[in-house]
Amino acid sequence: MAKSKELNNRSPLVRDIVRHRAVYALLAIPLAYYIIFKYVPIWNGQIAFRDYMALDGVLGSRWIGLENFRTFFHSFYFWELLRNTLMYSFGKIVFSLPLAILLSITIYECRRTRLRKVVQTLTYLPHFLSWVIMYGILLVLLAPGDGIVNDIVKAVGGQPVDFLTNTKAFPWIVILSDAWKEMGWSAIIFIAALMGIDMSLFEAAMVEGANAWQRVRYITLPSIAPVIVTVLLLRIGTILDAGFNQLFMLYSPAVYSVGDIIDTWVYRQGLLEFQFGLATAVGLFKGLIGMLLIFLSNRLTRKISGSSLF
Amino acid sequence: MKKHLLTIVAIIALLAIVALPVFAQGATEASASSASSKPVTIDLWYGAAITEAGPPPADWVGYQIIKDKLNIDLKLTALPSNESDQDVKIQAAGAANNLPDLFMVRRDAWKRLVQQGLVASVDDLYAEMPTRTAVQYDADSIAFTTINGKSYGLASPGSIIKNEGLLIRKDWLDKLGLQVPTTTDELFEVMKAFTFNDPDGNGKNDTYGFGAFIELNNYEEGLGRRFQPIYGAFGVEGTWDLNAATAGLNVRKPEMYDAMVYIKQMQDAGVIDPNWMAYKKDDFRAAWKQGKFGIMREQNAAYAATANYAPFDKNFPDGEWIVIDPPKGPTGKSSVGPYTVNYRIYAVSAKAAKEGKADAIARLLEWMSSDEGYYLLGWGVEGVNYVKDENGIPTDKGLALGFSTPNGQTVTQLRNMVFYNSDVELYARYPKYVTAVSGKTMSALDVLRDMQSRKWTPSIGCDTLPAPNADVKRFYEQGVLEFLTGKRQLTKDNWTKWVAEFDKIGGKAWEDAGIAYAKEAGLLK
Repeated sequence: MAKSKELNNRSPLVRDIVRHRAVYALLAIPLAYYIIFKYVPIWNGQIAFRDYMALDGVLGSRWIGLENFRTFFHSFYFWELLRNTLMYSFGKIVFSLPLAILLSITIYECRRTRLRKVVQTLTYLPHFLSWVIMYGILLVLLAPGDGIVNDIVKAVGGQPVDFLTNTKAFPWIVILSDAWKEMGWSAIIFIAALMGIDMSLFEAAMVEGANAWQRVRYITLPSIAPVIVTVLLLRIGTILDAGFNQLFMLYSPAVYSVGDIIDTWVYRQGLLEFQFGLATAVGLFKGLIGMLLIFLSNRLTRKISGSSLF
Repeated sequence: MKKHLLTIVAIIALLAIVALPVFAQGATEASASSASSKPVTIDLWYGAAITEAGPPPADWVGYQIIKDKLNIDLKLTALPSNESDQDVKIQAAGAANNLPDLFMVRRDAWKRLVQQGLVASVDDLYAEMPTRTAVQYDADSIAFTTINGKSYGLASPGSIIKNEGLLIRKDWLDKLGLQVPTTTDELFEVMKAFTFNDPDGNGKNDTYGFGAFIELNNYEEGLGRRFQPIYGAFGVEGTWDLNAATAGLNVRKPEMYDAMVYIKQMQDAGVIDPNWMAYKKDDFRAAWKQGKFGIMREQNAAYAATANYAPFDKNFPDGEWIVIDPPKGPTGKSSVGPYTVNYRIYAVSAKAAKEGKADAIARLLEWMSSDEGYYLLGWGVEGVNYVKDENGIPTDKGLALGFSTPNGQTVTQLRNMVFYNSDVELYARYPKYVTAVSGKTMSALDVLRDMQSRKWTPSIGCDTLPAPNADVKRFYEQGVLEFLTGKRQLTKDNWTKWVAEFDKIGGKAWEDAGIAYAKEAGLLK
């Protein structure tokens, strides 16, 4: 009784924490992660405005204002880097997202359990391969000399295409290989959303004579629309992250003009050249753009569909 | 609401305090002098001698010997095998002022760390290590790491110089009744024959004349190392021309255009493996072992060492590569490529020096070069990992944990810290052997001597010249390839325009800086 009274005297938050301590204990781990890896480093973000010297530390380094940002914006390849980055980001959204949705619906609609499991496993699998392995696979498939695809092209009388070093083919290889690698993994969230749809809706539709396509169009897609919007917004927030690991592994000097993105440039110019201030400035720029885009697209989707992330 | 906010802030602050030690830059080491009885911890980041093998095991006998004899607690960390990854790891540690006590570092990254004041001068250490200094360091190596009159790194002999050569499939030449090509014209004809005349006799159109991949470094820019014998025929091998009268970037010389035209002809005629631009090093090496091409520039051990030659021997028991002279170009010039003296820099961090560890580091390095350290790090434990043959050469024949076996390799990961390319090392490293399938007698050492006897271009110090900034470097590498892929049409006019553009974005400034540095450092001949 006394204990209960003591609890009631505490603030609602403390009361809440004590009552649901197991849940809050679980929350502590991700919270600690965000504090350590996301919030504490914000302090060091100020080196974007300094001529960073490791011995002088963050505060001791000379303040240079927006010089690092100017270096980035005035760099010889700035517009090309921005174009390539946006091209891959949007390209991946345009191709990968619908494919993931399509795959999730296909898996969900498949009535043969064994086939569904096989397809699910096979489509998840590439996600667990590193881009180093993926490059090896792509080389076996696409090499102009003896790649499987080019062997087929040659067999039907065509000219082999150097997919990995041709500036026209390379962007498609980047976008499609990403779709191939990540499609299965991205589909998980949509499959989870599909599992939550009330089955009676489908049963009613079937009674009314709706065919499979009509069920997908009028029940499935509207039901998972909020999840699609959420995923889309999250992807837009990282629009300037076009996939460093993939591009770094796949590109070569022959396709720099269409393969060099902001992150690969930062790697070469910032990290390899010890210009950590410049690298941080670009990181801040990307973060700022991402945040603005999230706010804008959130507002836009709320206006259009009535559904939004926040 | 305010109360809630305060509580949340308090929780976050508490967690942040708990998290802070994670970001603390290492516990301050008690100075060696203040606790002489306590072992001094030396954190060493080393370049693994055998990248595919693991680090020395936790119970490696060396740890205990070093602790007992030197009062040093050695902590080892292997650096990534990829050079760029090495630079990133070291520079990231440098940016956090958290460099290890002693670490291997490439010269470009080392220079940046020196500029940042993160590396200690090692001038005083040479005298503390008389044995090591006698075999590892000389005036040239000290000059290699000297900036403004102070030496900031210990430069040991690196990889063996001139250890690559132009190789050709002799069995293909014989089958097609061709002679070894001596000029670029003859080379072209042989490449065509290798591509179109079925040199392996399998009835398939699956071979090419020349094989390569893009392997760049600061003194072999453009298309990189594998094309140097072609560039050499036109007198534009290497990034730099270090002749006093003509010093400058080779890419700005008219002969570079001629070399490009020749390579473009190779590309257009289809006599070069079409995968070359997409190959990484391992793909290239797998390709020649699969018999895809018949001419290449390759390294002696990568070609002839037991494990490396074995797949080729298995696939082509009758196959045979021979080292040939680089082809002569239109004006009679030829070269396998530029060479410089290679050094491997180990630097002492300013932090370690400040913590009073410099003497312990000198003690450790001096011991490494003693007889005990040299053999232990170079070949392992006598009787377990090696025995000496009648000539005193270490060998591991018949030993289950021999230094060349997968399990034995781990105990020799630090051998590059003690080796100095002596004859004993070379004989032990490259023994004569008989191949498993064809029964040929092979020796990577004989191949090395052959390669070294060919015509090379001395370009000593070319690897110390200033590097271009990332945009200039990209413009150079991308442009050269675009001319070959056809994205830019290779005409004299277009080439001149491209060079002018290169100058404009910083190419000329890079050349001026390079010439000024070379003059000051006395590198021009």
